[in-house]
Amino acid sequence: MSATAFRQVTQDRSLYVPAGLFLVLLCAVAFRGQGLFTNNGLAGAILVATPLILTALAITPIVMAGRGAVDLSVGPLMGFVNVTLITWLVGNGITHPVAIIAWAVGLGAAFQLVQALVIIYVRVAPIIVTLSGFLVLSGVNLMVMSRPGGVAPDWMLSWGAGTSVFSPVLLLLLGAFAIWGVLRGTMFYRNLRMTGADERMAYTSGVQVDVVRIIAHMVGGVFAGLAALSYTALISSGDPTQGSTYTLQAVTALVLGGASLSGGRGGALGSTLGAINMFLISYLLSTFNFGTVSGFVTQMAFGLILVGSLLVNVFVISRRTVA
Amino acid sequence: MGSEITVRMIDVAKAFGETRALKKCDFEARAGEVHAIVGENGSGKSTMAKIMSGVLHPDAGKVTILGEKVASPVDAKRVGLTTIFQEVLVADEASVFENLYVGRDGVFRSQSTGDRRTEAAEILARLVGKSVDLDQLAGSLPLSIKQWIVIARAILRKPQVLILDESSAALDLDSTLRLHAEIDRLRAEGATILIVTHRIAELVRIADRATILRDGITVGTLGKDEITEENLLSMMTPADRRASDATEYASRKKALEAPLILTATGLAAHRSARLFDFDLPKGSIVGVAGLDGQGQDAFIRALAGIIQPFGGEVKVRSVDTDKMVPLRSLDDAANLGVSYVSGDRKREGIFPQQSIFENLAIGVYRKKLGPLGVIRKPTLKPMFKREVDRLRIKIGSPSNRITSLSGGNQQKVLIGRAFANDPQVILLNDPARGVDLGTKRDLYRELRLFAEKGGSVIYLSSEIEEFIGFADRVDVFFGGTLFRSLTGEEIAEAPILAAMFGKARDASVDFDLERTA
Amino acid sequence: MISTVLNTEIGAAGGSSALRKHKSISIGFCLLAGLLILGALLVPGFVSPQNARSILLLAAFLGLASVGQTLCALVGALDLSIPYIIGGANILLPSLMVAGLPAPVAMIVVLVLGTLVGACNGALSFRLQGQALIMSLGLGFAAVGAVQIYTSLGSQFGGTVFAPVPGWLRNLSAFNGKFFGLPFPPVIVIWAVIAVALGWIMHNTWFGRSLYAVGGSRTAAARLGISEFKVWTVIHSVSGAMSALTGMLLLGFSGGGFVGVGDPYLFTTVAAVVIGGTSLLGGAGGYGATVLGVLVLTVLTSLLVGLGLSFPAQQAVVGLLIVPMVAIYARSPHIRNQI
Ligand SMILES: Nc1ncnc2c1ncn2[C@@H]1O[C@H](COP(=O)(O)OP(=O)(O)OP(=O)(O)O)[C@@H](O)[C@H]1O
Ligand SMILES: [Mg+2]
Repeated sequence: MSATAFRQVTQDRSLYVPAGLFLVLLCAVAFRGQGLFTNNGLAGAILVATPLILTALAITPIVMAGRGAVDLSVGPLMGFVNVTLITWLVGNGITHPVAIIAWAVGLGAAFQLVQALVIIYVRVAPIIVTLSGFLVLSGVNLMVMSRPGGVAPDWMLSWGAGTSVFSPVLLLLLGAFAIWGVLRGTMFYRNLRMTGADERMAYTSGVQVDVVRIIAHMVGGVFAGLAALSYTALISSGDPTQGSTYTLQAVTALVLGGASLSGGRGGALGSTLGAINMFLISYLLSTFNFGTVSGFVTQMAFGLILVGSLLVNVFVISRRTVA
Repeated sequence: MGSEITVRMIDVAKAFGETRALKKCDFEARAGEVHAIVGENGSGKSTMAKIMSGVLHPDAGKVTILGEKVASPVDAKRVGLTTIFQEVLVADEASVFENLYVGRDGVFRSQSTGDRRTEAAEILARLVGKSVDLDQLAGSLPLSIKQWIVIARAILRKPQVLILDESSAALDLDSTLRLHAEIDRLRAEGATILIVTHRIAELVRIADRATILRDGITVGTLGKDEITEENLLSMMTPADRRASDATEYASRKKALEAPLILTATGLAAHRSARLFDFDLPKGSIVGVAGLDGQGQDAFIRALAGIIQPFGGEVKVRSVDTDKMVPLRSLDDAANLGVSYVSGDRKREGIFPQQSIFENLAIGVYRKKLGPLGVIRKPTLKPMFKREVDRLRIKIGSPSNRITSLSGGNQQKVLIGRAFANDPQVILLNDPARGVDLGTKRDLYRELRLFAEKGGSVIYLSSEIEEFIGFADRVDVFFGGTLFRSLTGEEIAEAPILAAMFGKARDASVDFDLERTA
Repeated sequence: MISTVLNTEIGAAGGSSALRKHKSISIGFCLLAGLLILGALLVPGFVSPQNARSILLLAAFLGLASVGQTLCALVGALDLSIPYIIGGANILLPSLMVAGLPAPVAMIVVLVLGTLVGACNGALSFRLQGQALIMSLGLGFAAVGAVQIYTSLGSQFGGTVFAPVPGWLRNLSAFNGKFFGLPFPPVIVIWAVIAVALGWIMHNTWFGRSLYAVGGSRTAAARLGISEFKVWTVIHSVSGAMSALTGMLLLGFSGGGFVGVGDPYLFTTVAAVVIGGTSLLGGAGGYGATVLGVLVLTVLTSLLVGLGLSFPAQQAVVGLLIVPMVAIYARSPHIRNQI
């Protein structure tokens, strides 16, 4: 798998920047100390980074489908799955793993199916539909659970211990990659890219653009469900308030990963790299101590790094179009 | 060679809101024929093509393609009908290869047979005349190559019925001939080919029959021998609108002796090309010709201040000081009264969400600014009306969106935009792309009038017959440089063609373009 | 006031399809009227000077914050730095005053800084197009982080700043503020003046028209000699300035600086733009439409509050209503009609 990933990085120039940034950050983190490169460090990192990686993956197919379809609803959707899981299922004594996983994945896919149908048949710009989804779910989440609380099912508590690299959380991540890998191997991936790059061209050439869009959304929904599972494992409870944060982080990760929000360009590898880079930036900043203003310095530095890497992206992209 | 009917439309009607694009359309085409569909801009040709392809559904009437009903592009693909739409649909962010095979497979499953890459490389080499890198992004390619990609995409599907909606409009002469060869091959294999075109020479050369549309009604079908410019014109245009006849002006040698208004020295289209000089006498019309990629496009864009030439300098006589002033940027061009009309209207012309009025007027706002950049609006309405009348633009309400106009009428709005500025020099980069014959004549007449009043015109065209009886001088580009200037008697097909292929002055060209006029 | 703005918009006969505009605007008005009638019927005390005043006051803040969002949407960008600049201005102003700057000078400093952040934003992001929103997010983080570092130097509270707010600033935007003796806060008038001026500028100046041109087609605009760089920089600067202004006025409203005051404006500004009918993809819409959107949103919220809905429920209802409201007049054509 890493071999194909490597080949992709060397072929696709939009991955140069995220891959380069990744290496730089990795060196910087190593330079700051060995904390991350121990079993516990890595296990903790996987635990913390997985929800972010999975939400970034969740919006990847949707953004790729074009029409400026940035899925703003992804964070609240993850939160929705999380709080309903804790309140409705666990709260009513349903804790069987199959039921929990089916609920998470099914709910994510169902919600995205609804959004896709609204986008296709009501024909309102996708970003407006997902903005609406964002607001609705943000509200509903707080109605389902007014403040963070509840407990995850017993069997999930050990997931969040962060003591082993090969935890079930890693399995969630690998599961998502596997799904994506299978899709990439089919014509769906190319149809998706073409739909995103120029929908009118794809439509007139006989691509079933509506079907492609629906599948893209549902795959995104499944990833959002997996993200919710990993998030539940991470906090071992329910939290209705983090939706907006995760949406912004996921979109940022996507852009840092070299995807184009106007469709056609991007992929799971880029989004994953983007998300890992975001995690590494936060991790790196947390190794410094700025005293009382620490939080603010982190925020500022994070913003500046974002700006910097976007500028490098621009440089690479504009070089590419000239070439 | 069957002659069974493959495409049939009976009593088809289609309206877009108030606009009735097709009123009563009857049409039949047979296997193994090239059938042309002709008509003025906005007469409903593209609408007809879209209905056949299943993109649009007719309001009334019956359409059968190879005996089946086609309700969507997916159906069309199944039946074996492929359409090359008027707008060049290419995904800029995807590779050439992906663009060629888009839509060939199912949602998940590949329908692949054989080696697609070899097949793709072969067909592009044959059509474009040189090999094209399959992995580069299509966005960086010029319009003519994009047009070839679209054509190649259609031909790769081995269609039973192929519809080409003005597909040769972006192609130069040499390319058009290659396209015709391809069409001949398909015809020989028994396919039905429907072509929509405004190029009479092309029609005469290749069409077996032609069906004429006028204001959404099919007014008749001509057999091969009846296809002549006059026949077509009289059927396309109602008598009362047939105003300008084909008055042939002679090339005016005298115009070329006037003082120069624009000079360019030491220009080159690319590093290795030979340097050349160019001058434009006031009140003259200079045609610019050349096969694709011979530097004429870069040249005219450099004159407009859009791109920087490799070295050299462009100077224009300033209206105020009567001195030659260097032109280096778009701002200089605007100040010196140099207007530019692009043939690629979708990309660098229209503002799709804006009204027809805004699209025309936006070119003059800058000249009508009061203090603080406030636009003096009252002067705009008469100007708008003048340009619409002058170019006979067929519009509904000025406040309708420009996209509600047919392609040709959109182009006329852009030409109006350039005229509205009262420029000294007007640069037209293949402006007649997709413009109907009547309008072309109107355009030539207006440009002549403009020149007689002292304006100067540089007119780049990919159709050489456009220059004859219109231009005072024709400058032919070859190998990135100005290869030859032709005046007077030399402005005729053979010498222009010879120069376009870089041949000596009196050499004859191996192929002849039959032209009945 | 709205009608004035709208009139200048419609009055510009060539502006954009008058019929479409009439349609979307009359539907907007109907929606607003419908909400007002519903409120009058369902909520006691809905039709009262107090309620009108509070609706207009809240609308003024949202309206001012949405100026930049509208302009950005017209070129197809989103400005996500708005909430952060609002929050930053809201705490920077009092801490500058604590540091001894006279209030007007401090306000000018804050306004200039806001404009500068906006200008950076525009200058850096015009090449990014669709990705610009992340650039604005990054700059927003950086700006608010820097402000908080400054305000918390020598104090424990980074996020909240207490300082005596001068009476005139409080009067500008407090609920019981007076406008030359009239019983409404001057911020409403400020908003009205800015709205009318902006509506007029958009339709009657070269700058306004070039904004629409860039939003409609970048290449075609470039051919007309319109500098995309200039347009992006100016609109983002305006957005920064307006956000800073909103942040400062909010200080008068609440009386104490709090960095989080801007947070609700992250997506409500987008919602107001969208409900008004400005396309987020650029080229179509205007501030007049956003004014309508702001009013609809504020009246709707007020109605929901009157009906006793909690904040989360309000948010959910607003979210649910956005799609149908936009669908009434801003449905995109079917792909069949776009070929
Ligand atoms: N999607 C649409 N919405 C509204 N009006 C349309 C639409 N498509 C076409 N029309 C109108 O229908 C008429 C026919 O248009 P059509 O594109 O078929 O003309 P055409 O014969 O192809 O012209 P051209 O030679 O300029 O390409 C025109 O008046 C045009 O304005
Ligand atoms: Mg047409």
